[in-house]
Amino acid sequence: MKISLRDITIDYDNLRAIDDLSLEFHEGEIHALVGENGAGKSSLMSVLYGLNLNYSGKILFNDKEIFWSSPKDAIQHGIGMVHQHFMLIDELSVLENIILGYELDDALGFINFAKIQTEIKALLKLYDINMNLSELVTNLSVAQKQMVEIIKLLYRNAKVLILDEPTAVLTPNETEIFFKTLRNFRLEKKIIILITHKIDEVMSISDHVSILRNGKLINSSKLKQTTKKKIEEQIVGKKLPKLNVRRVIIEEQKILEVNSLRLSTRFSHSQPIDLFIKQGEILGIAGVSGNGQNELIESILGVRKVLSGSIEYLQEDITHKSTRYRRIKGISFIPQDRRKDGLAIKSKVWENVITINLSDQKFSIGPFVKKKSIKNYANQLINEYSIKVDNLNSSVLTMSGGNMQKLVVARELSNNFPLIIIENPTWGIDVGSIAFIHQKILDIKAKGAAILLVSNELDEIEVLADSAVVMYEGNISKRITKDIKFRENIASKMLSGVHFTENING
Amino acid sequence: MTEIFDPEFFSSIARLTTPILLAALGGSICHRAGIFNIGLEGFILLGAFMAVLGSFFANSAFVGALTAVFGGLFLSIIFAEFHLRRKGDPIVISIAINILALGLSTYLLRSIFKVSGVFSHPEIEKIPHIQLPIIENVKILDLLINDQSILFYLSIVIVFILHYFLKYHKFGLWIRVVGENPEVLKSSGINPVRIKFLVLLLCGLLCGLAGAQLSISNVGLFVENMSAGRGWIAVVAVLLCGGRPIPLFLLIILFGLVDSLSLRIQGLGLPQQITELLPYIVCLAVLIIVSYKKLRTFSRIIY
Amino acid sequence: MKSKEILKILHPTIEIFYAFFSIFILIFLLLYLSDANFSLAFKGFVNSSIGGRNNAYLFSTFSKMALISGMAIAALVAFRGGLFNIGGEGQLVVGGFACAFTGLLVSDFGFIGILISIVSGMLAGATWALLSGFLTVYMGVPLLVGSLLLNYPARFITSYLVSHPFRDVQSGLPQTFLLSKNIWLPYFPNTRLDLGILIIFFVYVICLIIFYNTKHGYHSKNMGHSLSYVKLSGLPTKKIVFNTLALSGAIAGIVGSIAVLGIHHRFTDGMLVQPLYAWTGIIAALLVNLNLWFVPLAGFFFAAIYTGAAGMERIAQVPKEIATVIQAVIILFVVGKLGSLTNLSSSKGDKDD
Repeated sequence: MKISLRDITIDYDNLRAIDDLSLEFHEGEIHALVGENGAGKSSLMSVLYGLNLNYSGKILFNDKEIFWSSPKDAIQHGIGMVHQHFMLIDELSVLENIILGYELDDALGFINFAKIQTEIKALLKLYDINMNLSELVTNLSVAQKQMVEIIKLLYRNAKVLILDEPTAVLTPNETEIFFKTLRNFRLEKKIIILITHKIDEVMSISDHVSILRNGKLINSSKLKQTTKKKIEEQIVGKKLPKLNVRRVIIEEQKILEVNSLRLSTRFSHSQPIDLFIKQGEILGIAGVSGNGQNELIESILGVRKVLSGSIEYLQEDITHKSTRYRRIKGISFIPQDRRKDGLAIKSKVWENVITINLSDQKFSIGPFVKKKSIKNYANQLINEYSIKVDNLNSSVLTMSGGNMQKLVVARELSNNFPLIIIENPTWGIDVGSIAFIHQKILDIKAKGAAILLVSNELDEIEVLADSAVVMYEGNISKRITKDIKFRENIASKMLSGVHFTENING
Repeated sequence: MTEIFDPEFFSSIARLTTPILLAALGGSICHRAGIFNIGLEGFILLGAFMAVLGSFFANSAFVGALTAVFGGLFLSIIFAEFHLRRKGDPIVISIAINILALGLSTYLLRSIFKVSGVFSHPEIEKIPHIQLPIIENVKILDLLINDQSILFYLSIVIVFILHYFLKYHKFGLWIRVVGENPEVLKSSGINPVRIKFLVLLLCGLLCGLAGAQLSISNVGLFVENMSAGRGWIAVVAVLLCGGRPIPLFLLIILFGLVDSLSLRIQGLGLPQQITELLPYIVCLAVLIIVSYKKLRTFSRIIY
Repeated sequence: MKSKEILKILHPTIEIFYAFFSIFILIFLLLYLSDANFSLAFKGFVNSSIGGRNNAYLFSTFSKMALISGMAIAALVAFRGGLFNIGGEGQLVVGGFACAFTGLLVSDFGFIGILISIVSGMLAGATWALLSGFLTVYMGVPLLVGSLLLNYPARFITSYLVSHPFRDVQSGLPQTFLLSKNIWLPYFPNTRLDLGILIIFFVYVICLIIFYNTKHGYHSKNMGHSLSYVKLSGLPTKKIVFNTLALSGAIAGIVGSIAVLGIHHRFTDGMLVQPLYAWTGIIAALLVNLNLWFVPLAGFFFAAIYTGAAGMERIAQVPKEIATVIQAVIILFVVGKLGSLTNLSSSKGDKDD
């Protein structure tokens, strides 16, 4: 079997997402599709899966042109897709999620659950997969959810598997197990399309690699015919400036201290958390998203109640203070979800540059705002952080992700507060902005700020952090200090959840 | 006490419960399908008017119920056109539908029947009531559920059908999925918009029947703004029960109970305004209690 | 490709045509149903919305416009902050009653009495709005249903008060005594238009200043667009919520006061509910897509439809509720252009893990 995409072009309003692109996928091959965020990987695959019908070009199945009118057609042709954001309903059982859209039903339309159950159990046995079908999806780990998605495809008898960033949510160990399953599928002569931005994975598992940049195909070749370095260059397209890392002396003063903190809800049974950050230090919290990092940050910021323990900021107990109190005392925060938590995106640009400091004499007089000085200040930030924006009066919505993030970073860092909490600062933005933001973080550290950096990108922790802990299921590992084996040490802590918990208990 | 708890009190519970229940069932499937339909008030009102219209001109309660359903479906189609196709905000559409139904029913009342305020006429045939001989001997059941309109028994059957339908029927599964995340349904090859459209039609049907129960089951008349807040009580009930039919049923029985109680204590000399207020106060109280309990379980601080 | 582009350019025109055509058909149908004389109806509509002897009807349109615009501003203030306060009706009624009640007590004080009455109307309206705010912030009741359900106590309690303890029994209606002429709002010279519209204009200007030139306006707009951003930024969310709702309720109270002091000179049961002022105000605020600048236009537009329809009823025996129907349909046709108003629209609330 062979699938070809011919001369595919996709236009969104005034943006060309895919530009005249042709590709071929062969059976028994793991085909890696790589490129940075916004390169067009997902857009391309949504065409193949029938989710996007607004394109020009052809899809060929064994050299015969086919047309989709909905994903249903694609599924019937044996195409299955695991989306980056799982297409699962938490409140439903595993079984209900698997059969969705392909229910065996009686004449009245009622579902024959018993029959389906035996069918799927046979399937699980065949592929040697362990799964409790009546469990609610919400109770599953991320890796198990991933497996439900895969079973869904198997149940639908998919011959082409499109996997969009499947390992983003997996620990290194889980990734290994996942890849083993993929190799089994390869033996079964399935076509596997792996969308990823991790080059190490491409090198370790794929047979064929295609690189996309700005909607264009840069190169498509057998893995053997290219090298890691070449791929890296092709993804980025230009050389990035090297980060300017200055040595900073870490002062003894602890800026933030978290003592035996127990987080509320999901992680209430985890080990209490102890943390500290000194002046001039970046503490990285590594780990896959959803292991309690967000809850920890929210607790430190005061938007989440804690069960017990204390949070001290500059030797002051702030455990029961309001968010407002803490922020005014000098905590900056750069959230992961900039569109919801970092900005009011429908407001104008200049309306997003001031938060708690609006009462400063510089920006207001009595109850009135000084629009001119706020706008001047906004211009100052825009120049300093080279933010691209049409107009101060246009809404933030019109900016690109990278520029939005720069706006948040600019606002939060210009306060020059002693503590800065940063959560996945480079999530979903272009490489240029990533380097820029990394440099700004290092600069503010050099000025003596204490920084808590939560990131699920190992690279980011490795480049920026002075020391790191790993977070898993609400537990925090011992502190890993920066040395030659920094990365390896973090990765080994991330290796296995079970192993990890044992470590802590022992 | 006997003044309050006389036979009329017991038989009025079912009568007063039915319209709210039917509308709330319609609202609950919308809720499950992720459509925030708070326009139930308007749906009921137009249904009530159309029922009187149909029953009067055809001299048949069946035709009355049928026209009431058409009234509900008419509003459903409007809702679908502006919400599903033109992507309008459901709250705004609901508000518009409430106002539309109020205006339209009053306008038609005045222009077709040439009366304002109330229209009643002996030719409005009422929905037949059913006697169940089996329970005649059990006094309390006889009082409570015997000699009620067909729609009452129908609404109880619908509660249980809906319960099983949502749980075990494939369309029910799709409704639950579309409410949680339409993208999931789309990626499984099912058009979420189509599901939502069918759900809206079903809601219109049920609300139409609710209106019919209100206007032509016992009284056989139409009063301007006849729904008088019942739709809003249904909306609150739906919200409180998360659209689950069985708890919804129980909660609405409570509201119906209070409703008939307030009707009875009017005879005790309490001012009418205060007794009429009672159902809303109970509704608000339940809403506050449930919301507060939920708030306590939240570990995130919202405000 | 070419035809597609032409279609894209023409799309807005087609949309507008479609809307007008539908509304036209609807009006035609409605008029047909009431056996109206079309030209008479049309004449009645135009004449009574903007004409009349000595422009009497135009002034009555202005008078309605004041009330509708006022309620639109009240709704808009709250909506802009992301607070779906649809309890304007309750706030209006409570404000109106408080004003009438106070007015009876202070009728000897003339101008000062007017001020006191309006202020008490404001306070009552604000209190009613704050009550729903309290339920939302401290009890977790969604503001949408909480504010709405509070309409009913407002309506029934004032109805009780004017039917029993404070009733002008001789008038035969459930209403308070007539206020003394001392504290009626004065009329513009040689007209029957009271000064209420000036008060609303004053409110309008104040709100424009609050929206675009104050710290509260700056923060509340952002809160309307993202509550979690404002909360995480360390802004005083509770204070913003309460201030916004108090302002919204106070404006509703002012509108109620104007209706009492300027138009009816007493509080009659249902006089503020029946004409759907609060709902029309909400619709008007939505029609201008929450842009305060255009509220007077929307207010005039809807008021003209109202008085026009009343004229149609007088002259061509077309029930005046046609106005209500037309307003609802207009808002339906613009709703698709508005986008999602609040995060409340999703039927599932904020969920915890």
